[in-house]
Amino acid sequence: MKVEQLSLEEFRARLGSKNGLRIQFGPFVVRIQSFLPSLANPLYRLYAFYTLANDDIAEFHVQIVSKRSLRRPFTPFVQFLVDGQAPFPAAPVHHALTMLEWGINLAIAVRVNHFLLFHCAAVERNGHVLLLPAWPGSGKTTLCAALIHHGYRLFSDEFGLMHVQSGNFFPLPRLMPLKNQAIGAIRDFLPEVTLGPEIHGTLKGTVAHVRPPEASIDREDEPAIPRWIVFPKWTAHQPLQLEEMPRSEAFLLLASNAFNYEVLGEVAFDAVTGLIQRCECRKLVYSDFDSALVALNALTDD
Amino acid sequence: MTDRRLNAHHQLLVRALRDPPSLCNISNQDWELLLRLVRRARLLGFLAVELGNAGLLDKIPVRIANHLRSGLIQARKYQQLARWELDRVRWALGEDRGPIIVLKGMAYLLAGLPHAAGRVFADLDLLVLAENLQPIESTLLAKGWQHHELSAYDEHYYRAWTHEIPALIHRERETEVDIHHTLTSPIGRLQLEAAPFREAAVRLPELGIYVLSPPDMVLHCAVNLFQNNELADDMRHLLDLHGMLQHFSSDQPLFLDNLITRANQLRLGRPLFYGLYFCRLLLRTPVPNTLMTRLEQRPGWLALKVMQLCVPLALLPLHPDLPCRGAKLARWWLYWRSHWLRMPLHVLVPHLAYKFYLSVFPSKAANTASSRVTAKTK
Amino acid sequence: MVDWDGEFTVFQPAAGKTHFLNEMGLQVLILLDQSPATLERLCQLLAEHFSLLLDESFMQQIQQTLHRFEALGLVAYVNFSQ
Repeated sequence: MKVEQLSLEEFRARLGSKNGLRIQFGPFVVRIQSFLPSLANPLYRLYAFYTLANDDIAEFHVQIVSKRSLRRPFTPFVQFLVDGQAPFPAAPVHHALTMLEWGINLAIAVRVNHFLLFHCAAVERNGHVLLLPAWPGSGKTTLCAALIHHGYRLFSDEFGLMHVQSGNFFPLPRLMPLKNQAIGAIRDFLPEVTLGPEIHGTLKGTVAHVRPPEASIDREDEPAIPRWIVFPKWTAHQPLQLEEMPRSEAFLLLASNAFNYEVLGEVAFDAVTGLIQRCECRKLVYSDFDSALVALNALTDD
Repeated sequence: MTDRRLNAHHQLLVRALRDPPSLCNISNQDWELLLRLVRRARLLGFLAVELGNAGLLDKIPVRIANHLRSGLIQARKYQQLARWELDRVRWALGEDRGPIIVLKGMAYLLAGLPHAAGRVFADLDLLVLAENLQPIESTLLAKGWQHHELSAYDEHYYRAWTHEIPALIHRERETEVDIHHTLTSPIGRLQLEAAPFREAAVRLPELGIYVLSPPDMVLHCAVNLFQNNELADDMRHLLDLHGMLQHFSSDQPLFLDNLITRANQLRLGRPLFYGLYFCRLLLRTPVPNTLMTRLEQRPGWLALKVMQLCVPLALLPLHPDLPCRGAKLARWWLYWRSHWLRMPLHVLVPHLAYKFYLSVFPSKAANTASSRVTAKTK
Repeated sequence: MVDWDGEFTVFQPAAGKTHFLNEMGLQVLILLDQSPATLERLCQLLAEHFSLLLDESFMQQIQQTLHRFEALGLVAYVNFSQ
């Protein structure tokens, strides 16, 4: 059963109930609880396609609760809690959605070691995964949003979930937070995209979330093997370049950006080595989505 | 007190720790709660090892097993980091650095205690001779270790009132090295001579360093738990006691007798009594009554009654969804107790007043580094 | 140890660390792994291997590398007189 099969009232009631709203995100189940009236509406719309996991074990239990600040008693604040504990400070009430999304990602990043967690966007085309690692100026979320509305299946804009033994990557299609100028850029390029409200004044500036396409969420239990690793860089007024990346550099960037590379030790070293040896590694410089799409389509064509 | 007097969620947790195979037929709902409790108690790795040894990790819900394994991987990483830190400290100090005794988590690992296999510990604790403290500190500072940036207050608190120097941490690594020269606070109510512990310490030939003798290891653990700590969420330390008592007793039939004798000799009857008492109560550790009564300095009936009410509520984690006023009160009382035992009143009152001031005006703390230390010493 | 066209990644299990080495760094480790050597002997072997001039600055550079490797626990000093 999907979220959209509930009425808004039922959805709101679940969020406020003892059993909470239980959502399947890829391989994980998250229980979300909140009485915050302003959170239910945008969440209902953005979470529409997710599967409800009522009878499964939830491994993450999160809440958004109201909070009063002693120093600013008349401003409403909210706090994100995971298992009743607050990993970061309270924020103004209109940040609730960004806090929730960011908090769930943080909980996954610090608790999960049964996958090797790369910090990258991941999409699939022709049965294989294309990884877009995070590195300074990569704009991986923006490029990922463009790709998944042009024939690529979304795995994640934030996590590359590698099952080390099989080499498979698992989808974790979560809301995709666009920041600042990227919001306008995606609105222009993809008028059909469903965006959440613009949330101003967060740590990362203005944020608006892209709802993942229904088709990607429907296939969130289908893993695939990566074949390409592309390090993107958006640079204004630059001609498009897609060139070979030295493998040692790809190793360094991929390993140093993974969330739990150090924790997994030799297992991670072997996994990254194998991954880089099997994949084509490229550096992409682009200034517009159309030419980037042409280049990436050519790379990932069968 | 029997299990029936424990909260339902505490019963679930102690049953899991005492008898992991019994978990094979609990409901998904119970598993979900248990995973959260075990995580809060920092025992994911411990339970993963216990279930793994019993061949049961593949017989429990796979989501749960994944998170237990994740916790174990994290615990092993901490262990590897601490082992390597010890290696680097030994390298930095070279041969002439006097005897070094490794304490707590790392010592349990070096002594090969079975219960330590999945144990989480972040720090490396070392006991050295008081006269070597300063040269060791300066050698390490010269070879890449540094102190957290501390406020003047914290610096003073450490050097004058506790038995440590501020933690050292290598600038390229993350394991804290805590160097002690005594086993208890020099101003606390319980004054412990380190000399008898040093004399009985056991040398590990391959490393050239020492760990405490088995009875002393148990006593030090009990002193830490019931004298130095606030007991909140400290179940894993009670499991240390339980694990040591079981392991050493199976090795040496007269271990418990010797332990009692040693405790009386060192005047540590009280903390050992509490340690044995709560091990028996919560984990059903086999310790005969006749041995308990041989302990001197047992607490009076009123003190025991209060501890019996409060300690389980503090040691065992709070229910993640249902706040419990009684448990909070118990933890508050034990917090005061631990400070009362560690400091005379003229030190305690200003110390807590200062900590309260910082909790209201966190910006007054010098920086985040010092607030981390504050959290450790509160 | 993995070769990426002249650059090397090495995993050191005890430290849990991945090191990135060039040919020179790797050769230092390989030579010392084969048998312990004095600084002079090591530099001589390295100069031969890479056809380099064995001068003061080369030796200094190798000495610095050894200090760094020692702090990382990749190499250790042994006493030859024993």
